[in-house]
Amino acid sequence: MLRWISPASWMLLCITALPAAELTVSLPANYSAITLRGSDARWQLVVNFKDDQQQVVDATQRAVYRIEPAIAEIDATGYIKPLANGQAVLTVESTGTNCQVPVEVVGMDQTQPVDFHNQVVPIFTKLGCNGGGCHGKAAGQAGFKLSLLGFEADDDYERLVSETRGRRLFPAMPDQSLLLLKAINESPHGGGQRLEKDSHEYRVLRRWIASGMPLGNGKERIVSKIDMLPTARQVQRGSTQQLSIVATYSDGSTEDITRTAQYESNNTDLAGVDERGFVQIRDQSGDVAVMARYQSKVAVFRASIPLGVQTDSFPPTRNFVDQAVFAKLKTLGIPPSNLCDDSTFIRRVTLDIAGRLPTPQESLTYLNSTDANKADALVDRLLASEDYADYFARKWVLILRNKRDSAGEQFGSFAFHDWLKQSFHTNKSYDMLVRELLTASGSIESNPPVAWWREVAETESRVEDTAQLFLGQRLQCARCHHHPFEKWSQTDYYQMAAFFSTVTRKEGATPENPVFVSRVSAASAAHPKSGARLKPTGLDAPPATLTPADDPRHELVDWMVDPNNAFFARSLVNRYWKHFLATGIVEPEDDLRVTNPASNQELMDGLAQNFVDSNYDLKQLIRTICTSSVYRLSSQANEHNLGDASSYSRYYPKRLQAEVLLDAVDQTVMTGTTFDSMPQGIRAVQLPDTGFSSYFLDVFGRPAGTTACECERMNEATLAQSLHLLNSKEIQAKLIHDAGRAAAMNASSQPIPELINELYLSAFSRPAKASELETAGKYISDRSANKRQAFEDVVWAIINSKEFLFNH
Amino acid sequence: MLTIYGKSGRYCDGISRRSFLTVGGLSLGAFGFADLSLANLLRAESKTARQGKLGHKAVINVFLAGGPPHQDMWEIKTEAPSEVRGEFRPIPTNVAGIQICEVFPKLASMMDKAAIIRSVVGLKDRHDSFQCMSGWLSNDLRILGGRPSIGSALAKLYGPVDPAVPAFVGLSGKTQHGPWSDPGISGFLGTTYSAFRPDGPGMENMKLNDISLDRLQDRRQLLTSIDNLRRDIDKSGTMNGMDAFGQRALDVLTSSKLVDALDLSKEDPKIVEMYGDGKPYKYQYDGAPTCNDHLLIARRLVEAGARCVSLSFGRWDSHGANFDLVRDHGAKLDQCLSALIQDLDQRGILDDVTVIAWGEFGRTPKINAGAGRDHWAPVSCAFLAGGGIRAGQAIGATNRLGEYATERPVDVQEVLATLYHNLGVDTATTTVTDPTGRPQYLVEANPIAELI
Repeated sequence: MLRWISPASWMLLCITALPAAELTVSLPANYSAITLRGSDARWQLVVNFKDDQQQVVDATQRAVYRIEPAIAEIDATGYIKPLANGQAVLTVESTGTNCQVPVEVVGMDQTQPVDFHNQVVPIFTKLGCNGGGCHGKAAGQAGFKLSLLGFEADDDYERLVSETRGRRLFPAMPDQSLLLLKAINESPHGGGQRLEKDSHEYRVLRRWIASGMPLGNGKERIVSKIDMLPTARQVQRGSTQQLSIVATYSDGSTEDITRTAQYESNNTDLAGVDERGFVQIRDQSGDVAVMARYQSKVAVFRASIPLGVQTDSFPPTRNFVDQAVFAKLKTLGIPPSNLCDDSTFIRRVTLDIAGRLPTPQESLTYLNSTDANKADALVDRLLASEDYADYFARKWVLILRNKRDSAGEQFGSFAFHDWLKQSFHTNKSYDMLVRELLTASGSIESNPPVAWWREVAETESRVEDTAQLFLGQRLQCARCHHHPFEKWSQTDYYQMAAFFSTVTRKEGATPENPVFVSRVSAASAAHPKSGARLKPTGLDAPPATLTPADDPRHELVDWMVDPNNAFFARSLVNRYWKHFLATGIVEPEDDLRVTNPASNQELMDGLAQNFVDSNYDLKQLIRTICTSSVYRLSSQANEHNLGDASSYSRYYPKRLQAEVLLDAVDQTVMTGTTFDSMPQGIRAVQLPDTGFSSYFLDVFGRPAGTTACECERMNEATLAQSLHLLNSKEIQAKLIHDAGRAAAMNASSQPIPELINELYLSAFSRPAKASELETAGKYISDRSANKRQAFEDVVWAIINSKEFLFNH
Repeated sequence: MLTIYGKSGRYCDGISRRSFLTVGGLSLGAFGFADLSLANLLRAESKTARQGKLGHKAVINVFLAGGPPHQDMWEIKTEAPSEVRGEFRPIPTNVAGIQICEVFPKLASMMDKAAIIRSVVGLKDRHDSFQCMSGWLSNDLRILGGRPSIGSALAKLYGPVDPAVPAFVGLSGKTQHGPWSDPGISGFLGTTYSAFRPDGPGMENMKLNDISLDRLQDRRQLLTSIDNLRRDIDKSGTMNGMDAFGQRALDVLTSSKLVDALDLSKEDPKIVEMYGDGKPYKYQYDGAPTCNDHLLIARRLVEAGARCVSLSFGRWDSHGANFDLVRDHGAKLDQCLSALIQDLDQRGILDDVTVIAWGEFGRTPKINAGAGRDHWAPVSCAFLAGGGIRAGQAIGATNRLGEYATERPVDVQEVLATLYHNLGVDTATTTVTDPTGRPQYLVEANPIAELI
């Protein structure tokens, strides 16, 4: 007996032996049976076992299958292939339960024409033939070219069928076709063997050739969507999950394409996936997404992997950030760490907002304060300080590529930096900041953000930088071909490019200080393949309506800053969240693909909505993040959350960035670093552009400002860094400086424990512990003959300790 | 007393800049912008299974800066009229049917260990090492920092063999025309993977700066007792890395492996003799000297663990007095390059080390009024040995006047692909990720089928 539930639930429910446990088979919406059409059809089953605790687990590879009568065969992985026309029942058994699904096979007696677009090209993609390293690259490979990932299937057809006088395909003797001989490596093939002779793919290709290489109706019958089963699930650590994918075509027909699609996990520490769509969950907890792509469509399976610890006690919920994070932690069963102490907090928040260490005085005042509101007051004070503007201007000048390649560019690069700093200091709303930047016209003297247009000189770079910086979309791929992991096509790209098509560079006061204007003309950009003139159009948006007199860039910004824009606010809040919490809700922080979902959607949505509601108030966003309990969690792990690296159950330590580290060393050692042509006292975070040489900054990963990507900043540890910090002339010169801390300690009449305490307060915002006082005190008293050197050594050890090098 | 370039007076250039490496009896390991990320360090340490006599694969890229005259090197155009042919006669080699220029008798006697390519194409008329180091033009992906050179790619893909020796070393001192001594850039991989240069900024961190070894040990103990933060709280691995590298750096400060490799006084004088003396330096102007020692140092570095050593040999930009220049540079190259091949062979590591000598382009067929030859990018040449290639071959040919390739044009990328192949890198499948997240192939050509 079969019991049915509503198809909308996407599950076909079956009878079970036990009342509480049940076995089900996932089927797409509107499916009540498995139907296989023609000999090429395949079906990947996904079997779910719901135990008596109502926990659903994948049972696909555990279940035992039987199809009666045997009109189709099914293997242990749940993969079905048709044998003969007819109707049958598939019985699935597992863990003492079973269920049955009707199976129907039709069309075995008819020869189905092979469709080039929808059957042949996907095989090339799956086998890697049209990848960027093989025939898919611009020049092709060994005289044979395919379009990258098959996005230009018509061209592929021409090349296969017509090029080199048709040598590649022999309809009369299909097995002698060069295409097949190369693929099975019988004729020597640089790419080696890609195909087994008895494989499904070989037979499809062979049949296509034997039937005279029909083009098929793939031009009309295009993939309109692909659906993944399941789409989301809570899974156990160490478990597995079979996925299945059904493609729906523009004529309404559907097809299982599980083994023709390609898969990728967005976090291989959490889950891996093979070419059959079989997911291996690893031993860590967190949220992970597995992406599938097929032709130009993508789909995602999201898995939440709980740790499963009973988690009831949470720090106080101070705002919606805490709500979202703690709700996620509760679901995942990851207990958060405790809140950090006051010393850790003031050091952490001062480094994160102001890019510097707190002064000993600031730390003492904060530690001694009994004001219940002191943490929030501290955040406000830091946000009001110029140091905040300095630090965030530094962050932005590098991704806005404020490079100085010649002396003549200095005026512009300094002015641009100054404009950014002022914008942050006065808390210009983010939409206004972006508008002023992206619509900048005139000269740098009159309008400093024009400097961005000077440096980012090509339309392509402007499109790509704008998309990556302000929308979290990486459009680079779509410049030359359909984006492989995204829905963006070349049309999308050049529609965006059209917004920039009226911008013209004109001669200014000097060659390095040009003037930019928007010409009066109808904005458009040519599609590189079809040549069609494309109108300015935002991503996923209707075309803009413009007159030739309009500056289309205003229209672009109007679309971007619209409260309903799906990318603008999300991209910024994710970038800032990562600045403070070390790991983006989406990683990398500027790659907000649909196939790369947020690890905490509620958090992402909440931050974005709040940011929009505040009229894009950047300081308010930082305030929201920094006054949350989540931001105040200790970095010390409890017995459960050491492995957590993406759910924010504790604060993840960050190595101090190059500039911040250099300033922190100088502040602690009481020295300074001078930078070419800058007045003394300018700190590294205040540097306006890239034109300052410093081995220290380079070795610790200062970016060169060549891209709009934050990833240009290297946070990797290297031996050269250690050598520099432990043993360089630069550091040693600071340590022995006559105006430095060691000299001052040596000259001071204060008791040694007080001096050590001050050093600790300066470096770590906390007094030294008794054991630390003893260690350092003994080191100094043992070397009474050369106390100054002993002080130098103590300072050296402090600045080389992990507690110093990290914000924790 | 120890000096890295050995005998005084035998140095190539600027020993005074390098003499800071002279530190009593204590020799120090050295790092520049070392290619030592944590992952690499761990990989290097976990590498236990050694194969072959060297234990790893390496390449020595001898850049003949300025562009050697291809028609006066490995293919003498005997049938060309006198205004093209030039002054040199071909001599037979120990491989029947292959003749090369009379200036290279020693190399001719070991042609069975080498291969020449007479038809390198795809080069552009640019006076820089970029194409020979990377296979790409300097403006390719420039916006991201440019394409990485082979040395940087190796540093990224494999890391160091020995943590105390950088994977990628550029031996040449800075030349007045800078692009001639560029060891190859790290490009979009970032400065972490750039070449270690013995005169580079990281070198001085090798020397204990006004600190005795005893005091360093004291400091080390103090740091150990003060440094109490648990490093496992950082899952990104950076903290772990800082810790591991901190220990490693302190160890390196007492290691001498790299400095020893650079120190020819540690080499058998007979071997040093065999490589010959590149002095007196002639025709150097704004280019590199003909420093024969560099080839020997390259071998020592490779033995110590370097994967890629690049160097610039001479200044071949013979707009005037082409034949005198080739006689001078060629004779010196003949001696040190043949010595290198013989030396590697005698040590049983020739199959592990690919040696290549080539320049940025060829030179005009027609000899100019000053007995010189000008730039000629349509065709150039290369000399290869070792790395397991099928030796004893001359690949390709040019037309009667040496103007363009008539047989088997070999793209510069194919040459790089061959080097990568010899180093165990499959260029058809290996990618490195650029800052925009796109996977980039190292080169987009296949290895030269005739050689592998």
